[in-house]
Amino acid sequence: MGLRAVVSAIFEFDRGAVRKLIEFIRSVYVVVLFVVLEAVAVNFYAHSTAYTQARLLTRSNRLLGDAHGLVGDIGRYFTLGRENRRLIERVAELEERLAAYAEAENAERLESYIDSEQDPKYRMTTATLVGGAVNRSQNLLTLNRGYRDGISVGMGVLSPSGAMVGFVVDCSERYAVAMPVLNTSFRSSGRLAGTDYFGSISWDGRDAETVQLSDISKYAEPREGQEVVTTGFSQYFPEDVLIGWVERAELNETRTTYTVHVRLAAEISRLRDVVLVGNRDREVVGDLQEQVRQNGGAISPDRSATTN
Amino acid sequence: MYRTYPYALLFATTTLLQVFLFDNLSLSLYLDPLVYLAFILLLPLDIPAAVLLGAGLATGVAMDMTMGAAGINTISTLLAAFVRPAIVGFCYGSENAREGGTPSPERMGRRAFVRYAAIVILIHHSVFFTLEALSLAHTLHNLARIVASSTATFAATWLLMRLFTAKLPLRI
Repeated sequence: MGLRAVVSAIFEFDRGAVRKLIEFIRSVYVVVLFVVLEAVAVNFYAHSTAYTQARLLTRSNRLLGDAHGLVGDIGRYFTLGRENRRLIERVAELEERLAAYAEAENAERLESYIDSEQDPKYRMTTATLVGGAVNRSQNLLTLNRGYRDGISVGMGVLSPSGAMVGFVVDCSERYAVAMPVLNTSFRSSGRLAGTDYFGSISWDGRDAETVQLSDISKYAEPREGQEVVTTGFSQYFPEDVLIGWVERAELNETRTTYTVHVRLAAEISRLRDVVLVGNRDREVVGDLQEQVRQNGGAISPDRSATTN
Repeated sequence: MYRTYPYALLFATTTLLQVFLFDNLSLSLYLDPLVYLAFILLLPLDIPAAVLLGAGLATGVAMDMTMGAAGINTISTLLAAFVRPAIVGFCYGSENAREGGTPSPERMGRRAFVRYAAIVILIHHSVFFTLEALSLAHTLHNLARIVASSTATFAATWLLMRLFTAKLPLRI
């Protein structure tokens, strides 16, 4: 028996096995393909957070932002009347406040007020919504302003009438993505106006008009219609920004805290324009942290000596 | 492959409708039609399973990117694409399906088409909205969302199917 015969026998055997293997793979490869693709997708989803989603949206906005803006502009013509009315209402409200200042006879007080306004803690800017709706539980809104317009991550988003909407979670050169309070990942703090009782604001994803204010002390006795406002703890919102009004309150099982259902003041589903609020203090702190990070996390005395 | 251009057009139409119209339309928490599924539903009956999976992957990834949803569209659309041949076989018969053609009431019979579309849409939407809510706490609420949105998607799919198949006599 020659070597050649042995080789060919092995080869024959192999060919049969390979053919069987190929047939087997052919019969199940769609299933295998499906399982592999699905596993990758599930793995990606399982490791994602609200911020991953915001980042994805920011990236796709680089491509689609302009088109969204164009479509949005067409839609805007149909709501111009309503927007105009709201603006006039707002102008009237501000006129009224201005008149109150004009009437202030105490000039000193007015001057001191103006002094304190020289370098306000918060800076405001406006933006228009170009994408996003609130018909899911993980809603995100796209705004037509980005780094270029002085928008930064962490800015608060308010409705034109000054009610809380959400905050900016990601930002590109020209677009920003904001997480509205109508996102089940949203967390902030809220306070019953006129009291010191506060709790955390979140959304249970069930009703696009109400959010939940939980962990309110049982002594708070929330009344229907009472205002709920932001606290000073938030780094995103100024203090006393209106969130909404108490709709109903329920004690939890252990009767120690209330969960208050708050009717939102901002009509997020009909929102077109928003006001963005940046906290200068927070930005300064952020800049400092960024500087430290760029210096490699540590600023040694040697380094400062060499730069001097 | 035959009829590539009409299907490319259908893909563009369904995705653009989804991205620019339905994703920006706050109808209600309960009405969130996912019309991009119509593309998967209307692909030829005799399409190879692997190509169908590829179409599901492309649609899902495109929708995840534009919606900023980290994977739920891909997961649910892949599943819909994977089970579609089995459901076609169940509603219409795999032998009949081999003849090919766009799924429509004329080809499959109204009853078979409605059952086929409804089952695929329900499977897709069940996965989508369950993952989206990420909780089983509000089961009734989720069920209502699945049923209402599926109905809306079905209506949109019917319209698109009518438009898509209406062009046939003109072209052939």
